[in-house]
Amino acid sequence: MPDKSQLARIGGRAGRGVLGLVGIAVVVATLGAATLVTLPTIERGAQSSEILPLPSEQQRVCPGPLLTLAEDSTQAQSASSVGAASAVYGAVDAVSLQQIRPQVTEITAVDDSNSRQPPVLLTVPVQNGATVPPLLAGSQSQLAATDTIGGLAVAACAEAASDSWIVGGSTDIGSTSLLLLSNPTPVLATVDVMVFGESGLVDAPGATGILVQPGEQRVIPLAGLAPNLKSPVLQVSSRGGQVAASLEQSSIQGIEPGGVEIVGVTATPATNQTIAGVRVMAAVSAETVTTGEGFNANTPSIRVFVPGTKAATVQIGVTSADGTTEGTSTQVDVEPGIATEIPLAPLAVGSFSVHLRSDEPIVAAARTATDSAGGKDFGWFSASAPLAGSFAVAVAAGPSPTLHLVNGGAADAALTLTPSEGTPVDLQIDAGASATVPVSGGTTYVVSGGSELWALVDYSGDGVLSSFALNPPGPLASSIRVYTH
Amino acid sequence: MQPRVTAILVARNGAKHLERTLKTLSLQTRKPDIVITVDCGSSDATAQLLTEFGPTQFIAADADLHFGQAIAAAVRVTPPPTHDRELLWLLAQDSAPDPNALEVLVDALEIAPSVAVAGPKVMEWIAGEYIHNFGESMTPTGATVTLVESELDQGQHDGLSDVLAVSAGGLLVRHTVWEQLGGFDPALSVVDDSLDFCVRVRLAGYRVSVVPAARVASAGDGVAGPNQSSRGRLRRRRVRAERSAQLHRRLVYAPAWTLVFHWLSLLPLAFLRSIGQLLRKEPGAIVGEFAAAFGAAFNGMRVGNARRSFARTRTLGWDAIATLRVPSAEVRRRHSLKRESSLFGLHGDRPEIRFFSGGGAWTMLAAAVVGIIMMVPLLGADTLTGGGLLPLSPSLPELWASVGYGWRDLGLGFVGAADPFAAVVAVLGSIAFWSPSFALVLVYALAFPLAAVGAWMAATRLTDRGSLRALAAALWVLAPTFLIALATGRPAAILVHLLLPWLFFAWIAAARTWSASASAALLFAAVSASAPSLAPALLVGWLLSVALAGRRVMRFIGIPMPALALALPLILDRGLRGDWLALVADPGLPVPSGHAPTLQLLLGLPGSDGWAAVLDRFGIVGFDPQLFVPILLAPLAVLALLALLLPGARLASGAWLVALLGLGTALVANQLVLAAIGAEPVRVWSGSGLSLYWLGLVGALIIGLRSLRRFASTPGVVAALALAVVVLPLIGSLHVGTAVVREGTGQTQPAFVAAEAQIDNRVGTLKLTPQADGGLLASIERGVGATLNQQSTLDSTDQTLSIREKMLAELAGNLASRSGRDASADLAELGIRFIVLQPAGSSIDAADTALRTETALDGNSALAPVGDTEFGRLWQFGETDTAASTPIPARAGGVFGLVTLLIALTVVGSAVLLSLPIGAGREAVRQANRDAIRRAARADAKQKPRRVRRGKGSVASDLNADLDVPLGTDLEADLAIDRETGVGTGLEAPDGGTADSVEDDHAR
Repeated sequence: MPDKSQLARIGGRAGRGVLGLVGIAVVVATLGAATLVTLPTIERGAQSSEILPLPSEQQRVCPGPLLTLAEDSTQAQSASSVGAASAVYGAVDAVSLQQIRPQVTEITAVDDSNSRQPPVLLTVPVQNGATVPPLLAGSQSQLAATDTIGGLAVAACAEAASDSWIVGGSTDIGSTSLLLLSNPTPVLATVDVMVFGESGLVDAPGATGILVQPGEQRVIPLAGLAPNLKSPVLQVSSRGGQVAASLEQSSIQGIEPGGVEIVGVTATPATNQTIAGVRVMAAVSAETVTTGEGFNANTPSIRVFVPGTKAATVQIGVTSADGTTEGTSTQVDVEPGIATEIPLAPLAVGSFSVHLRSDEPIVAAARTATDSAGGKDFGWFSASAPLAGSFAVAVAAGPSPTLHLVNGGAADAALTLTPSEGTPVDLQIDAGASATVPVSGGTTYVVSGGSELWALVDYSGDGVLSSFALNPPGPLASSIRVYTH
Repeated sequence: MQPRVTAILVARNGAKHLERTLKTLSLQTRKPDIVITVDCGSSDATAQLLTEFGPTQFIAADADLHFGQAIAAAVRVTPPPTHDRELLWLLAQDSAPDPNALEVLVDALEIAPSVAVAGPKVMEWIAGEYIHNFGESMTPTGATVTLVESELDQGQHDGLSDVLAVSAGGLLVRHTVWEQLGGFDPALSVVDDSLDFCVRVRLAGYRVSVVPAARVASAGDGVAGPNQSSRGRLRRRRVRAERSAQLHRRLVYAPAWTLVFHWLSLLPLAFLRSIGQLLRKEPGAIVGEFAAAFGAAFNGMRVGNARRSFARTRTLGWDAIATLRVPSAEVRRRHSLKRESSLFGLHGDRPEIRFFSGGGAWTMLAAAVVGIIMMVPLLGADTLTGGGLLPLSPSLPELWASVGYGWRDLGLGFVGAADPFAAVVAVLGSIAFWSPSFALVLVYALAFPLAAVGAWMAATRLTDRGSLRALAAALWVLAPTFLIALATGRPAAILVHLLLPWLFFAWIAAARTWSASASAALLFAAVSASAPSLAPALLVGWLLSVALAGRRVMRFIGIPMPALALALPLILDRGLRGDWLALVADPGLPVPSGHAPTLQLLLGLPGSDGWAAVLDRFGIVGFDPQLFVPILLAPLAVLALLALLLPGARLASGAWLVALLGLGTALVANQLVLAAIGAEPVRVWSGSGLSLYWLGLVGALIIGLRSLRRFASTPGVVAALALAVVVLPLIGSLHVGTAVVREGTGQTQPAFVAAEAQIDNRVGTLKLTPQADGGLLASIERGVGATLNQQSTLDSTDQTLSIREKMLAELAGNLASRSGRDASADLAELGIRFIVLQPAGSSIDAADTALRTETALDGNSALAPVGDTEFGRLWQFGETDTAASTPIPARAGGVFGLVTLLIALTVVGSAVLLSLPIGAGREAVRQANRDAIRRAARADAKQKPRRVRRGKGSVASDLNADLDVPLGTDLEADLAIDRETGVGTGLEAPDGGTADSVEDDHAR
């Protein structure tokens, strides 16, 4: 019966087709559901321990007296010291705030042909059983008034580091810059200096492999590495031992000394940089800012450098340090690898705090100058790293020292300034705000109560200007997260 | 005086055969004088039939009486013999004598008074022209030999008369001799009862003779002589009984002074023979083997009694029957002849795999060429590095020491279970025994051809068209997940992709052969060890197989056993920690991977397809890989879906089920972050799941194309070409440098450390790796460094910090800081001689941490800087007696380790033995022959009427019959498996495709 079997065959095929379509529908529906449904995620974090290293002894190196090159014309490259710097230092236990007397040792200034007063090394050993390192601070000041050097130079006694950035100096005509490298560690330090200028990295053969023996200070004339550089930026990296680096810059305008400054290290590359205080003694004109007309070495300006390879867009915010006037903000694009000088927005005379926000890591420092009847001087204001917790400020003697504080924390800060002698002062800084506090020279203060503060001390007077920024103890003492697998 | 014959008929539930037996008994030309029927507790119509027959005496006995006892019971009711012409004729329910059988038998005894026992020619029940059994003998060592069995009777053995023994059914014995010898040995229940009796007859000075003219048909019911069924349980029982009988006879016949040795050899022999049973694919016989050994060893009474009665009646020495024994060589020769004829019969039925003539070799060659093109940058490499690739331990003992529960020499070291993957690595490393690390290079070098061969062989299960097989191989080799695994250096995922087709290949055949079943079990273990995330999907597949297997269920039930045995210590370890989920973490060196979008997984891509980077690199705009990659992969998906509408849809739906299981695995794996390496979380690799997904897809596609017949080529080629375009960037990844795999230097440590490790192989190196979050990863490596076989998921998924880990963290944290802590004591305690600071990645935080750490280490007076190496900056810490401080604890695994190791060895070893394609044993060949004869007879009986009825359709019915036949017995399949040297039979899946297409052929 062919009809019947044919029918059965057709029926079978149809059934198979329907089943197949159902199958396809099931598959497509499952795949579709897979794309639409979001499965829950089970995520297990990595296990780690936050390790706070045992505190070790604290060391600070004061750069020592001002140096000059040209005093002995037969040895144009050898430096000799001029006068003496007066250093102020102090240390307190971080918990009990008890005064500790730092040990003072001398650093041999091998390149100073006239070593009347060597740089000093301050050391405070860790007290037995202490879990927090002691607070140690020191600074030095020197007012020079010779034929070649005139002006005020103050500097913080700094901690040695393996990688530091110095934004400042100049080897242009009339300017002398000396790089001071002190090695307080017991290990030989091999230092490489990278000098960046307005046209990029300077090829300086002598800048690598500088040996700094333990307990010695080397003086490297910057002109020998990178002559005729208007705006150098230095990266000092050391291997083996660590070095405390600073840059002495002096200038002569015509036959008059144009000022002197010891430029300390600035904060390491980061996308946010803060200069806690910039004192402007002569306002810049709006024309200079917009057209660059009349821009010179004395124009209040900020030197920015992008260490990376991508151009950075930098937002420069300037607010009055005492919070009295409205802040200004400008945006500039900065090419990578080239030191760029940016005039600060038209500013009145006064002190300001500067915030730089960038999309790429940058280093920065600001420079202002004074020119008055008392003489000429300039000052560098470096960016610094935030200070967490209590810190000590040693204020070297000088004209009207002022402590600038910027509260970068999210909460208002109720601070207490405890001088080494005298009554404590209470101070309230709103979150994100800044404050200035007059302090007295020759005194060591402990500032407690803050969580994230930027601090800088500046000095200004008739024809003199200088500053030093306060940096926290090096990152090497901070806690670190350790994973074991 | 006339001879008097007492026929004794024993029946147990034998109504089926009894009718014919009784009828033939009543048709005898020489009727027995007395008929005694014994019913052994039957529950069917047996008793009724026996009584209706009208015997002289009917005895209702217990069900547990065996043949000898039933006969004895019947003999007891007869009067004692008065002269030697009183004869006993022993019959069973299935002993149907020819009409003249008794007459001829009686004549034989009448003619020769020295003959005490005469046996008939026992014929097959259905295939009456075949000899079932004709005369028995022993080899010189005492093994039973049937002189003639399963042979077509053409009178070729009719010259035979004097034999050592005859079988029990149909045997005619003088009553006096029976009484004298005490009948059958009660210890021999079914097997060898008459052999033993006849031997005693012979040694008592009588003769035993066969009478060719007397023919008795036997159905092998198991009443007289063992049951001849091929059903698993009955067959196992028979094998056990045969072994028991053999051991019993050995103990009875042996001289007294050798008894101790025989007794002591029982268990060792059982072990050895068990291995043999595995090799012969008779795993079911092992229990019987041991039961027989124990039964013989601890049943002294039976042996004692038998020895006494044996000694009592024996008058001649063994020399008297020496000439009647069959030499072992002769037995082997006969067996091999029979085996060949069996194989010959099987060859006709099944298509060959035709690897060479079918294009398999060319496919492999083409894959090898593509592989070489992809791997050009790695040519000549001795070792590979990057991703999850690490060297292996340099020597085989070390390699194998990292298997099982024990000391994991990873980092600080701990006692725990190794990942099953360590066993896979050990096997892999053993292949390249001269330099185990080279095994990974081999895997890379052979990845393409191996994947192609695997897929090609798997495709033989689905189609016999060479072009489709080649297409399957191409699609499998070009699977994006495979290429990504190769480029990112994931050895486990590569192995999974190489092994999955073989798993499918073996799995399909598992229903038919033990060899394939064991191979599937081993492959299952290897795949689930390499990718534990696949285990759930594989287990689902296994459950389905078990549910659908029917009476072949035993072949499937054991498939996960080796995997389970390997993972047992880890599972228990995880159970103790209460961390079950971590079982699915990827073994080997953790390799972080990003979260893949679901759509990307649907396309079979566990990572980026690389097109975006390529277009970017060559500055091509206007193409959106998000758009064209799915379009290019669409033909593949459409063809795979189409298979559901075409003939073979059932099989295709199975393939889609596999695909969906694989996709589900990938989707879930994509959501699981179980491990971490430093600060970086490590996601379970979804690529292994996608390999399974791809297997299902390619399978469905091949099934679909198979049904398209001659229209298959174009869509197939289009799908393959489109896929080739999609994976171009992946194939080129090693060339353009987007792959992380590169040629290694053979070292993972600075040369300075490696040199030191030559002197002290426990020298410790603290490896500090700056992390992207500013943290620091501190790990300790001993000797020449980390190895792949020592990696452990217990470590990578660990959520706790041990005291020693905290100590290490404390040490590393202080080393990386300006610290007041003296690290010397800790460094010495942890046995650290070197510290390596690895280069930081691109992250700024990591660079800061690197700088900080370097500064701190430089300033540490306890450390001497060695310098920069390719693995980072190296410092040396004074002289530490590292060997004394960090020895590997002896026997760290303890009893638990030993027990789990033994379990794993037993299970995996059994699976290996079972999977070896040695071929069927003697018993299997005998059985196959018997089954073949019966089946042929049945088929013959069935076919004749059908042919007449259908006429035209006879061709189809022939074909169907041919297709049905191979499904018959496992033994046949066992025989077939060795033909292909173990890779399977190439038998088309009988339930799916071929049957479908054959039907279709006839439908047209």
